[in-house]
Amino acid sequence: MKAPIQLTVNQKEYALEVEPSAMLLEVLRDQLKLKSVHRGCLEGECGVCTVLLNSEPVNSCLILAVQADGAKIITLEGLLKHGELHPLMKSFVENLGFQCGYCTSGFLMTAYSLLNNSKKPTEEEIRKGIEGNLCRCTGYVNIVKSIQAAAEEKDSGNWW
Amino acid sequence: MKNFIGSRVLPDLVYHHPRDMREALGLLNEIAGECKIISGCTDLIPAIRRGAWSFDDGLNVVDIKGMKELTSIKKDGDTICIGAATRLSEIVHSPVIREHTPVLADAVNEMASLQVRNSATIGGNICTASPAADTAPPLLVLDAQAKVKSFDKEELVPLNQFFVGPGETVLGSKDILTEIQFPILRPDEKTYRIKLGRRNAFTLSVISVATWVKVKDGVFDSVRIALGAVAPIPMRAKNAEEYLTGKEATAQVIDKGAKVVEGEVKPISDVRANAEYRKDMAYILTKRALMACVN
Amino acid sequence: MENRETRIISGKGQYIDDLEFHDMAYLAFVGSPHAHAKILGYDVRKALETPGVLTVITGKEIVELTNPLPVQADLSAPGWTWRLAKVYALAVDKVRWYGEPVAAVIAEDEHTAIKAAELVEIQYEPLPVVTDMTEAMKPGAPLLYDDWEDNKQVHLKFDFGDVDAAFKEADHVLKVSYREGRVSAFPLEARGFIASYDKNMESLTMWGTFQTPFMARHNIAETLGLPEVKVKVIAVDIGGAFGNKIHTWKENVVALGSKLIGRPVKWVELQREWFATGPHQRDVVWDGEIAFKNDGTLLGVKATVIHDLGVESTNKGIAATSIFPACSAVANAYHWKGMHIEGLGIVTNKSFYCAYRGYGKDKGVKFIEHVLDQVAKELHMTPEAVRFKNFIQPDEFPYKQINNYTYDSGDYPATMNKALEMADVDSWREKQKELREQEKYIGIGVAFTIEPAGVAIRNCQMGGITEARVKIAYDGTVEVHSDRTEIGQGADRSHAIIVSDILGCNIEDVMVAPVTSDWIGQGPLSSRGAVYPASAVAKAAKMLREKVLTYSSVFLEDERENIEIHDGMIYSINDRQKRLTYKELAQRAYFFPGPRGLPKEILKKHDHLLDVTTTWYSDVTAETGASYTTFCSSADIAVVEVDTETGITQVLKYVHVHDAGKITDKQIVDGQIHGGIVQGIGEALSEELVYSENGKLLSTSHADYLMPTAVDAPDILVGHLETPSPFTELGTKGMGEAPIIGSKAVILSALEDALSPFNVRVNESPATREKVRKWVLGAKK
Repeated sequence: MKAPIQLTVNQKEYALEVEPSAMLLEVLRDQLKLKSVHRGCLEGECGVCTVLLNSEPVNSCLILAVQADGAKIITLEGLLKHGELHPLMKSFVENLGFQCGYCTSGFLMTAYSLLNNSKKPTEEEIRKGIEGNLCRCTGYVNIVKSIQAAAEEKDSGNWW
Repeated sequence: MKNFIGSRVLPDLVYHHPRDMREALGLLNEIAGECKIISGCTDLIPAIRRGAWSFDDGLNVVDIKGMKELTSIKKDGDTICIGAATRLSEIVHSPVIREHTPVLADAVNEMASLQVRNSATIGGNICTASPAADTAPPLLVLDAQAKVKSFDKEELVPLNQFFVGPGETVLGSKDILTEIQFPILRPDEKTYRIKLGRRNAFTLSVISVATWVKVKDGVFDSVRIALGAVAPIPMRAKNAEEYLTGKEATAQVIDKGAKVVEGEVKPISDVRANAEYRKDMAYILTKRALMACVN
Repeated sequence: MENRETRIISGKGQYIDDLEFHDMAYLAFVGSPHAHAKILGYDVRKALETPGVLTVITGKEIVELTNPLPVQADLSAPGWTWRLAKVYALAVDKVRWYGEPVAAVIAEDEHTAIKAAELVEIQYEPLPVVTDMTEAMKPGAPLLYDDWEDNKQVHLKFDFGDVDAAFKEADHVLKVSYREGRVSAFPLEARGFIASYDKNMESLTMWGTFQTPFMARHNIAETLGLPEVKVKVIAVDIGGAFGNKIHTWKENVVALGSKLIGRPVKWVELQREWFATGPHQRDVVWDGEIAFKNDGTLLGVKATVIHDLGVESTNKGIAATSIFPACSAVANAYHWKGMHIEGLGIVTNKSFYCAYRGYGKDKGVKFIEHVLDQVAKELHMTPEAVRFKNFIQPDEFPYKQINNYTYDSGDYPATMNKALEMADVDSWREKQKELREQEKYIGIGVAFTIEPAGVAIRNCQMGGITEARVKIAYDGTVEVHSDRTEIGQGADRSHAIIVSDILGCNIEDVMVAPVTSDWIGQGPLSSRGAVYPASAVAKAAKMLREKVLTYSSVFLEDERENIEIHDGMIYSINDRQKRLTYKELAQRAYFFPGPRGLPKEILKKHDHLLDVTTTWYSDVTAETGASYTTFCSSADIAVVEVDTETGITQVLKYVHVHDAGKITDKQIVDGQIHGGIVQGIGEALSEELVYSENGKLLSTSHADYLMPTAVDAPDILVGHLETPSPFTELGTKGMGEAPIIGSKAVILSALEDALSPFNVRVNESPATREKVRKWVLGAKK
């Protein structure tokens, strides 16, 4: 029996019908076609499916869509402004903060929230902040660099 | 034997979202078939995926996530009350907890990952009752109590009587854990906690230790030591506590007391660690935690 | 044009999980819960009767409708054991490892397929299990393959130089042993494929995580009994590979499924299945002796390395072939008089072996670097002194190494010196002394790695095939094709840089096309990207540039020597008004006849299109049969701190100096270095695939297979040296594997140095916290 839910995703409002057993991850990917939210372990162990739910990073594989009723969700697509790359995205491109890109959308959501909530995090704070996102390609060095560079941008007012 | 299937899917669910405790308890009372209380789902879903827990289609789930009555952190006189559905991340940042019992916030901050802490709840951690539950050792040394409600009654269960076995608690099928309470720390009560995993972050505990110590005139007035992942349930090291009480709070005494802990724990060997290592670490980490409390 | 970086970062990646085709069905695999058992029968009725299920494929259909998986390498030689078993895409008659796929369910949606997979009933007769390679070698051990006399799949023997003479000269002979645990890459995206069989055209198209589309096409076509020209394989955006996505196997079942139901079929593997059925690696035991002189001169090595290959692999010889570079790698960067190395591959009831960053080239290096630390200790020399004493010197290149490789170029002393300087090793050693007095333990590790790249092995599908095409379109944009699949390693960007540098066009006008089986080649395995594909692309671009200059000189009416190209503008140096954009050139060169087009002299040569397809081969390999063409070198220095009471090891400092020949893009190279190093640290300290005694995999998820998080990984300082290779088109060397090799060696070396007051030999990995504590306690007694 499908249940009706309301979601605001990337600032758009949706009225959806979902199976109670559907994960938020599945609804975002399959119904809303937001393919940047990736499937990884489906057990909250890798962070690849991270989205912002009411401004906080969560594993969308661990949340039933029905539990997200009424929530505000942001995915990577939501950081674009009329197709323009967000300064955080630009920083990851300039600093090669990703290689295969599969974990990247998750990292950006976590980093976006981290930077929104702190002035200029130290390297230690950044690494702790991204502890829930695994990366196998980059060794994290350039991810940390990209976040630090983005913090500078935010500090100078280049942010949204 | 069941087939090896990569990642199993969730069963079809019948979803209930009670608005308040009255409705929730009523539902539990009425629902005939199998029923699970859910909040963060951070233990439930992984267990289903790996085939550890399986349910028939039509499983009733009663969602108490975000229920107002169960998500507050209050200081009520000298007691701190945390609603069972309070998310771990809220505990980490709570000014009340940080001021009065920072040991709990610190322990919670090392649990799982940021993303998981934003969904998981303290009640969920306690009710899943893994022997390695990381909220348990600090709560046990804080002498926490669990408020359990069912349709027709309510009682306070000391947390050290709440756990019955691995994954088992005293909760009946119609009960809900609603709150965790513990007294605030007094200035002469020192606490410390240590978690040891197999890597620096985002990892299950191989062992976790929490200590609570009151020293008067250089003597242990009272001591509480709790450990996780070294017994069928999170435990208090009663023998060691008894040994230390009344003795001088010196490094040699602490060393001996920590050795009593080593003899008291009953760890198993599993893929995470061997029993010998856990016993050895029970000694090492208890010693460190007690030294930290005393200095 | 948007490049790959901005596309991926905006969330426009097209990974296999993202592709949806009309009328697509979904497949789920059923795996064996037993590590070793006879299959007595199947009952698929309950699964078939589930609404939404379209078909169930078992070993029965696989045997009827497909061929055994084709042999990909055959290294049999006199005196060597080389055995391969008949292996199909699904288990037939017997299962040999926990999770081995025995059936596949295809349904309208993924949920239904997975639920129905639970209902497939298979009757098994369990057999005794063997999960330890030593046990597997004992007489009477459970036999995995009934037509083999024992569980020894492979036994290779190598005699290099004169090992007896080497040992005769020795002042010292040290016994050594070393072991590595079982690990693999486990990129965050597992495997996935979509197959679409067209019944009318009798052709098969596949999309997926194909690291090597051309090889995949050949192997899939042979397995399914289809003409190769009727099969097309397309690589989509791939979420990391590291060699784990080379072999073709489960996708054959997906393809068969599509053929049976006449609809596209999709299968996406999630991580839990990947751990149990992914290719595994490492898991070796070394035993041997090293002979050396009092002054630290190395003489010779006798060693045997035993590999736990798991089951005979679905990659039919590629896994076993890795034993050959494993043995050859012992020589590393040093002068030797003689070696006798034997490499064995034993089958056990575990998932099969294939490739993981290093492949085999890693093992001999890690072994010998550990051994050289023991030599240093024996002679009271610093570890780096032993290396300096024996390095191949810069003026000796090209150097015919004792293992028959020809090392192309390098400056090993300079590389090592730079690393020692950057790490400030002397200060750390001072600090170490001070801290020891406070019973605090830090250690400094040193390691040196040679990474062969550009693989071309005899009797092996990895034979050095490569093809590239560079073409200028009518509008002046440039198209680049090769076999170098983009797996995150920067292949696309590297080729765009190479082509735009050579052609002088704007990099934004270059499009590197996704790789498909249309292009002959082995894909980006074994770090060959900068050797073969890059050379082929460079060669094609150079040939194209010749045409560009010739035609421009005609159109601009000036001598060829006076034509230059910069930023997309082709002009005469004598008169900058005489110029063409690439678009203008293309338009004049493509549409004719007429006075604006190409002159008849050019047209009559029948080679006038601005489109070049070519191949490249290593002259060294052609001349000498050498399996590798280029040799990167790197020095790793690490400082670790060990908490001897808990066994926790933290990396305090990490320095890596790398010589990858001519670098195409430093940022890409650094990224490869960072990633490889953190993988190596994971292998050294926490990653391990653990099986129970009855063959059940216990490390089935990230909760138990512990890769480093950002809190575990250190900051990494990287330095560079460039000694161009004389053997490639641009002087580039393949790179990417040295970092994972040197890092594992250096962390263990640093750990051993930290624990030297306890006299602990760290010759085993992972050096988990529990193990380190055990070693400390054992030493104290």
